[in-house]
Amino acid sequence: MSSESPTDRASRRTRILSNHLTTSDLQVGGNSLQSNICLSYSPPELHEKIEFEVRKMRELLDVHNLRDRDWLFGLMMQSKLFNPQEKGGKVFVMPDFNHTKEQQREMTMKRIEYLLERGVFDGWLTTRGPETEMRKFAFMETLGIFDQSLAIKIGVHFFLWGGAIQFFGTKRHHDKWLRDTETYRIKGCFAMTELGHGSNVRGIETVATYDPKTDEFVITTPCESAQKYWIGGAANHATHTVVFSQLNINGRNQGVHAFIVQLRDFDGNICPNIRIADCGHKIGLNGVDNGRIWFDNVRIPRENLLNSVADVTPDGQYKSAIQDPDQRFAAFLAPLTSGRVTISLSAIYSAQIGLAIAIRYALSRRAFSFVPNEPEVLLLDYPSHQRRLLPLVAKTYAMTCAGNYLKKMYVKRTPESNKTIHVVSSGFKAVLTWHNMRTLQECREACGGQGLKTENQVGHLKGEYDVQSTFEGDNNVLMQQVSKALLGEFIAAKKKNKPFKGLGLEYMNEHWPVIPSQLTSDILRSSNFQITALRLRERDLLNRFAAEMSQHQSNGVNKEYAFALGYQLAEDLGRAFSDRIIFETFLNDEGTVSTGPMKDAVGKLRSLYALTCMEEDAAFLRYGYLSTEKAAAVRAEVAKLCSELRPHALGLVSSFGVPSAFLSPIAFNWIDSNAWSSSSA
Amino acid sequence: MASQDSVMIHTDQVLVEEKSSARILVLNRPKQLNALSYPMISRLLELFLAYEADPNVNLIILKGNGRAFCAGGDVAAVVHDIRKANWKSGAQFFSKEFILNYVMATYTKPQVSILNGIVMGGGNGVTMHGRFRVATETSVFAMPETALGLFPDVGASYFLSRLPGFFGEYVGLTGARLDGAEMLACGLATHFVPATKLSLLEEALYKVDSSDPAIISAIIDCYSQKPKLKDLSAYKRLDVIDRCFSRKTVEDILSALERESMDKADDWINNTIWSLKKASPTSLKISLRSIREGRIQGVGQCLTREFRMVCHVMEGKLSKDFFEGCRAILLDKDRNPKWEPARLELISEGMVEQYFSRMDDEEWDDLKLPSRSNFVLPGHAIAKL
Repeated sequence: MSSESPTDRASRRTRILSNHLTTSDLQVGGNSLQSNICLSYSPPELHEKIEFEVRKMRELLDVHNLRDRDWLFGLMMQSKLFNPQEKGGKVFVMPDFNHTKEQQREMTMKRIEYLLERGVFDGWLTTRGPETEMRKFAFMETLGIFDQSLAIKIGVHFFLWGGAIQFFGTKRHHDKWLRDTETYRIKGCFAMTELGHGSNVRGIETVATYDPKTDEFVITTPCESAQKYWIGGAANHATHTVVFSQLNINGRNQGVHAFIVQLRDFDGNICPNIRIADCGHKIGLNGVDNGRIWFDNVRIPRENLLNSVADVTPDGQYKSAIQDPDQRFAAFLAPLTSGRVTISLSAIYSAQIGLAIAIRYALSRRAFSFVPNEPEVLLLDYPSHQRRLLPLVAKTYAMTCAGNYLKKMYVKRTPESNKTIHVVSSGFKAVLTWHNMRTLQECREACGGQGLKTENQVGHLKGEYDVQSTFEGDNNVLMQQVSKALLGEFIAAKKKNKPFKGLGLEYMNEHWPVIPSQLTSDILRSSNFQITALRLRERDLLNRFAAEMSQHQSNGVNKEYAFALGYQLAEDLGRAFSDRIIFETFLNDEGTVSTGPMKDAVGKLRSLYALTCMEEDAAFLRYGYLSTEKAAAVRAEVAKLCSELRPHALGLVSSFGVPSAFLSPIAFNWIDSNAWSSSSA
Repeated sequence: MASQDSVMIHTDQVLVEEKSSARILVLNRPKQLNALSYPMISRLLELFLAYEADPNVNLIILKGNGRAFCAGGDVAAVVHDIRKANWKSGAQFFSKEFILNYVMATYTKPQVSILNGIVMGGGNGVTMHGRFRVATETSVFAMPETALGLFPDVGASYFLSRLPGFFGEYVGLTGARLDGAEMLACGLATHFVPATKLSLLEEALYKVDSSDPAIISAIIDCYSQKPKLKDLSAYKRLDVIDRCFSRKTVEDILSALERESMDKADDWINNTIWSLKKASPTSLKISLRSIREGRIQGVGQCLTREFRMVCHVMEGKLSKDFFEGCRAILLDKDRNPKWEPARLELISEGMVEQYFSRMDDEEWDDLKLPSRSNFVLPGHAIAKL
């Protein structure tokens, strides 16, 4: 101050005074004047036009149990347990992530008790059939939209523990456990993974030995690497678990079997000879109490063996209808596919949340002007922003349809369709969960700094959903399994000189298709061209993969190692297969829409999906399915489609049907929600 | 009545007073308990739109002449119109009414409604969407449509669904009456002012000369009281209401209530069950679904959906319960409607679904909401979109 000259001081005072005057002018002027000077939130609903009926579009995406979903959304929104918070005049529900992991776990359990009391889980295990299964899927999707921890915790109890009882157990287990599970009189968990073994279940080290003297099995954790790990529900709440263990009968190992073991008494005390430790704080899903379990010669009755595939008689004879241990193991695990189905679906709903938030923000947030002194431009009016988000919307639409196809196939499963379900669910689980993580990252960046706030979901969800590429089968391993299955089909067809049948490979029986020499806009947008291009890639990769495998094997490399060496093509092929089926399901659903603005929008999304697949996968250029000129035409068309879909953006994300309470403040009036008057929290 | 500097403008059914920058609109059909006629609705809409554009107007006060605020929409007239012409002439009434409701919900200037006396049905449509709702000890609130073969319309699927817990389902399905204290407790009213202080409050509001909701709210606060809920208030039964009215279907709600009454019978539960049993089964089912959908929709979507529903009701193709209800309650007054279908279990999900579909009529359009994009809406209006 002292160094300031009198003139400086005078001019500074003038400046301050005139600032006061301008400010008070503003206040006198009220709303109309303020809007010219300050930014005001302009809701997209008022300036965007929606040309199709959102209700109909939502039906195309959600398909089934819409009323049930809405009811469950309402149940969550209306209860204090779901932590409703008002921001910018709207109420949002979201777990309180300031809570410690212990508090988050207790809240998850309280929410489950509330939902139980309202009848959400009625019939989940005591009724059967496609209708019940579809309703369960709808509820799982809806619960996951609130919080992934809640969905996982319920999923472990009903689908893993309950599913194990249903599918691995027989009547004596069903009668004893299913009703008590449905009412949460007992709380179940699923102890498969160990510290030393995850995807390779057959390598687990826990041992169950039969003692004919007492008619009991003795379960043992023989070494530290055999401790059960990541067991959801084990750390705090579970009273019972299914334990996967090697079965030792008279000194002979009969392979992996499943047993029921009680972990805690009804007062929550850990049972004798069982030790449980916490897995600790995680990057997400802290509302799930993952634990580690050691079994110190725990004795359980013989009847606790889940004996759908194999049994042990009181005198210690091992009995199984399936002699081959490989087949026995496959038959045993087949029913667990539901986990991959639910994961695929929840990945899609998470991507929907991310995109609804990022697009709504991009329709209300402006930055920079094209012309000096003109209003700043909406983020979504930048072609680059369209290119970042709209292809992800198109993919999410396509994958939602694919998810519905998978669900339908799963609930109508037969012994014959099990293999297809296994292959498709493996491919989808990998592709859909990777898509979700990529989408969330893009949405986080598209929301700028606001994406970093936990309350705005998009950033936080990355931590919650990251696990999806790992649990129920590592994505890379799954992709290799898809390629292995395709190779099996290929070899079977070639060896026996029989036509391809199943997995949508029938087109392989036709001639090699030809890509037109001129790719006009019309051709690029025709489903005919699109399916041809996607099939061409899959077919060529399959041929290349088969050639590479046979090359390795003729060089004396063993089969498993040959697969390990062929990882590049295996992964490309797995993706090509999944992309192609996703496209087919989307095209099929498009066919059910009657002519009009909605069909136009879906058609554009389908084209954008197919062309983005082509633009993004280097295989199209690497192997010359597209010349550089044609690849350029594809790229130009992607940009064009983005600009044509821009006017539909609000309608497209509204049709996801995620209620505003489950989005985030930044998707709505982010100026009011950040105002000083609402900054007490 | 009029002071020297105020001007009174007489029209038949809506009286207008000007007090500096406040405009006082008085519903004026006291013999009909101020039931909203088509001319009243048209006039209100015209006035609201004009005041929005008029920089000399800062505040609108809405009140009723006589002992009622407003008994609802003039349904008898609507039925008369439909009998004389066709359902579309009845639907015109609702179209205008819902547009008025939407303009009020998204209004740029504060509306203070003084809810002295009964406020029912359509009366709630012209008040609940506004910024301030002042209840008194004489207020009687109800959405009684299910007893009439209709459903809670005028945007009720928006404002009922946002009441605490499942109170909205309770109020909307049973048509339960609430007093001023209950209205305040559940949030239907923003303030409670004793009737004797209303004229002082109005005088104070005339002098505000501001559109700032915080200032207006502070003035109403000066005359407000915190009334005590009566001992037998339904609002004290929120736990039972939440347990029962959160159930998935009307049938489930009824059986949950019946279980409660077996555990511990009392008049309130028995009356609640009785209200549900006497209401139109079709009305109950479409009302429940409407409230549930409304909970996840904006006010514009709610009104658009309700308009579809009301068109189906007026058309009378899916059910004639509305006409039967009007006959039994308003015309013949035998209070003994014969609902068709007569029982809940006879109404399938598919039948309910039809009420939510677009009218199967080439010449008939969905509700056309007026564009609000030229206005800078206040935050609380934006939040309703």
